[in-house]
Amino acid sequence: MNFHFQQAIRAVILFAFSAMIFNLHQTGEITKLINPKYENLSKTVAILFFILFVVQLTRIFSFSTKDHHHCHHTGHHCCHHDHGNSPFNTKKLFSYLILIIPLATGFFIPAKTLDASIAEKKGGMMILSKQTQAAETEDFTEAAIPNQSAGDDLYGDHAPDPNLMEERQEIPEEEYDHLKKELSQKQTIHMTNHIYTIYYDDINSNASKYKGKKIQLTGFVLKEKGFKQNQLVLSRFLITHCIADSSIIGFLSELPEAQNIDEDTWIEATGTIDISTYNGEQLPIIKIANWKKIEEPKKPYIYPIDIRVGL
Amino acid sequence: MGNYVPKYLMNIWFIFILFLIPLFLTNYTNTFMIPSSLMNLNTIFLSILIEALPFVLIGVLIAGFIQIFITEEHIQKWIPKNKFMAVLMSCAVGALFPACECGIVPIVRRLISKGVPLHAAIGFMLTGPLINPIVIVSTYMAFGNDMKIAGLRMVLGFLIAIIISLLVSLLFQGSQFKSGIHHEKSLENAKKQPFIKQFFNMLKHSIDEFFDMGKYLIIGAFLAAFVQTYVSTKTLFEIGNDVSSSILVMMLLAYILSLCSEADAFIGASFSAIFPDFSILAFLIFGPMIDLKNTIMLLGVFRFKFVMWLLFLVVSVIYISILILSKYI
Repeated sequence: MNFHFQQAIRAVILFAFSAMIFNLHQTGEITKLINPKYENLSKTVAILFFILFVVQLTRIFSFSTKDHHHCHHTGHHCCHHDHGNSPFNTKKLFSYLILIIPLATGFFIPAKTLDASIAEKKGGMMILSKQTQAAETEDFTEAAIPNQSAGDDLYGDHAPDPNLMEERQEIPEEEYDHLKKELSQKQTIHMTNHIYTIYYDDINSNASKYKGKKIQLTGFVLKEKGFKQNQLVLSRFLITHCIADSSIIGFLSELPEAQNIDEDTWIEATGTIDISTYNGEQLPIIKIANWKKIEEPKKPYIYPIDIRVGL
Repeated sequence: MGNYVPKYLMNIWFIFILFLIPLFLTNYTNTFMIPSSLMNLNTIFLSILIEALPFVLIGVLIAGFIQIFITEEHIQKWIPKNKFMAVLMSCAVGALFPACECGIVPIVRRLISKGVPLHAAIGFMLTGPLINPIVIVSTYMAFGNDMKIAGLRMVLGFLIAIIISLLVSLLFQGSQFKSGIHHEKSLENAKKQPFIKQFFNMLKHSIDEFFDMGKYLIIGAFLAAFVQTYVSTKTLFEIGNDVSSSILVMMLLAYILSLCSEADAFIGASFSAIFPDFSILAFLIFGPMIDLKNTIMLLGVFRFKFVMWLLFLVVSVIYISILILSKYI
């Protein structure tokens, strides 16, 4: 009986990948890496790695009576990629080391919530002020097509249960319109994670409609060069698929104590929506009346809601 | 048996390093010695990897499937002899085939070693991640439920892929594999073997394929994460203020961000305020065809010179066609 060292190493690595992904799910760290919508996909990957590990186990030992090289069954030489049977050398050591890096960092370095420094790399305030502009032009095209379903209230007295909604990432179009309609009637707008993007888009595109309304929101503090002393951005990250595709969203806000609040501090604030200009762009800003520091929320990221278009 | 001792030593070293790395890392985390930018880098790196792994695994499983179940004769029968027809067919197959740009490299490699001509394999590689139902839907939604960008992305992307593949067919012959990876001569496939046995062999091949591609995926993911952590996109935006430079800036962005084609539409849409539609289109077409992560994986299979030429061809064909069409978009 022969023991194949490299095959064993490969088995260990496959198992470690499976274990790392399971571990990320167990500890909840996975939510800091990918949109929860894709959690099941990543669980499937952990299972697949485990299956491959089991398959790999059969290759660790071979019996001298039987040829251990599976390609030999075909009677022809067919090995053009490495089956892990060729001698071990420095090059291979290097390539196994590379495979171990993500395993090590995945197990031992905790995932970090994206912070203001990344927000700045992503374009920061420049992107935010342009989002308003984009929304304005988008709104222009939207206005040209009459919206048919906006008129009737589909739910009547039975408004959807907010607790049920919290977990979903897809809503039918009618519900989306309903939410938007509801928003324009509300006196105080509460920006919860679930509806953040819907409200955010609407406030940015029709800022004048919301001027003077009260708003309650949470976010982390982002500051940039060129801000006045009383200015900061209450920002969030929007995650489509994984945090590598995050983009920055948030409101420019004004409060007297702004200069005393450090970047990356999470705060919960209430204030009034107003319209102001930043670098020549008109945009909604929030005049903050009350605020308090909070711990970083368990769900720091915002995920886009897919609107199911009824055909 | 003379070389038995050093080999053994190597293994000892290997085990040693294996245990050393985690120790080293835990010590650091306990004392919070890791700078926050490195933590950011690590988080983005892992996130790209976790996102890419499902697609890579699907890729290596399909590659394993091709290796075991598809013979050269099949390929000979299916692929048209005419170059243009072959390119057209491979682009169409790619368009129907839902793949991600990181999962497609092992498939392409296996296809070429089974005798698929280079230009056909490249056509498949270019349209595979770019055109598929998931990408169409996500692009449609990201641009405010408007079909214009999604439609243009598919149609233009398809035409561009055909042009690039035809150019490849004119310029290159053979497999262009780097030395060490050879063209499959002939494989008398083990038809006589029972299906279970074949399936098992397929999984074994997939494992080998994973270990072949894994390191390139990891290096690529790391580089992309590095760029995201340390390079500010802000400066890019300041450069791209006329037609030609805005296209280049968006293409550069698509390249270095190395986003998955299923998710890049939302990012593209977030730039639509800063750049005109045609530059966004360049971003959306270029990204899925080739990017930083993908280039590293290609370098693991193909000759350096070929990868650079392919990159050059993709860049120039997309740039020129978008530039010409920019007046009409």
